[in-house]
Amino acid sequence: MRRVPRPWRAALFAGLVACALAPSAPARAQVGPPELAAAAAIDGTGDPGPWDPWEPFNRPVFAFNDFLSRWALEPLGRGWAFVVPEFARNAISRVYLNVRTPGVMVNDLLQGKPRAAGVDLARFLLNSSIGLAGLLDPGTAIGLEANREDFGQTFGVWGIPPGPYLVLPFFGPSSPRDAVGRAADAATVPVGWFVPIWATATITTVDLANEFSFVALDIAEERAEAFDWYAAVRNAHVSHRENLVRDRTESEEQADEEDDLYLLEEEMEE
Amino acid sequence: MRRRFVRTLALAAVAAFAIASSAPGPGPRDVVAETVDDVLAVLKDASLTPEARRERIVEIAYERFDFPTMSKLVLAKYWKRFDPAQREAFLKEFKDFLAHRYGDRIDRYEQERVEIVGERSAKGGDSIIETRIHRPRAESVAVDYRLRSSGGDWRVIDVKIEGISLVSNYRDQFHEVLSHGGPDKLLAQLRERNAGRGGEES
Repeated sequence: MRRVPRPWRAALFAGLVACALAPSAPARAQVGPPELAAAAAIDGTGDPGPWDPWEPFNRPVFAFNDFLSRWALEPLGRGWAFVVPEFARNAISRVYLNVRTPGVMVNDLLQGKPRAAGVDLARFLLNSSIGLAGLLDPGTAIGLEANREDFGQTFGVWGIPPGPYLVLPFFGPSSPRDAVGRAADAATVPVGWFVPIWATATITTVDLANEFSFVALDIAEERAEAFDWYAAVRNAHVSHRENLVRDRTESEEQADEEDDLYLLEEEMEE
Repeated sequence: MRRRFVRTLALAAVAAFAIASSAPGPGPRDVVAETVDDVLAVLKDASLTPEARRERIVEIAYERFDFPTMSKLVLAKYWKRFDPAQREAFLKEFKDFLAHRYGDRIDRYEQERVEIVGERSAKGGDSIIETRIHRPRAESVAVDYRLRSSGGDWRVIDVKIEGISLVSNYRDQFHEVLSHGGPDKLLAQLRERNAGRGGEES
């Protein structure tokens, strides 16, 4: 945990690239309408309306992050996409995914999913060796699909609620629970322990450019189509995180709660 | 006499059979299966321009989505604040808007194959059909359709992509607009959005 500040320093060093999701970059990795997941933020409850008591703080921070995304990260991503062919960008993505796999494994175990941990371990060994440090993905080819887990999700599986929606400067949409999880995630990506800061900055920059190369256009499109961009991202982030925590298998209780979204009020029936 | 009786009986049997087999109509799973098949066919049709492709997906949505219900769900408590003319206008604009958003989002994925992975019933007699879009070089995407039946006719009332619901997302956004402006402001924004697209279908 003492290492946590490092990504911050790296972010600063990287200048504009700051928006750094340094250790967190699974932004896109967590898929989703990737444009929203990447931009996304928040934590709250399902339907009785978003739980966002800190909105007065969140909105300006969101505006700041959005400004960086729009004028630094998205242009960076578009430029990267222009210069680097898709197959190479996919390979780069896989390398980053591979580096994070040990952290995912830890979380598989903490969530009581030994089978998933085994799959991730096998993937990691295979992709790190035959797969040339992850450039290739023989794991998926033989049916070992990557899992997406992080500490925020683990806490969720343990029953810890996310708390109110929280937008972190640079890091984007989050929640108190996921912010703590993010710090823990950073500790599981050991790269920062060995390499000098300028290398960390480079690694972070390439990661961001690469990830944004896939989502920059989609983010711009979503932003253009939004009626309230802040609310759109908040909703997407919260829903997406909930979905990840429950791993797409809803408990009856959660499903029921969510079902209220679909009730028509009596008066509306007419 | 007896002959006629037999004939009548036979006719009745045929009629009963016809009614029995047609009455249930296509179930929710069939509706989704047809929808994804149609979408896939459009996406794989190399002769279509990107614009034509999206328009075709929009047409598919027009056919299979229950826009009146979606409109009520999206506006929720604000529905009451819309007078009949505003409701009608909202329905028309929102239908146009939402169908295009569905088209934009679905068109984003290079689809190799769509698999129906699950089916469950939910509160209010709704049915949820879970699908997975398999992509050639990337992870699959989970798309869940929620359907509601009215008179045995199943229609889609929400689409969730990786847990993100169209209805819920626009509900949050529209409520922001409505809490600051009113129905007319939202309608004006919707019209602007639809006009900006250039197409004046529907």
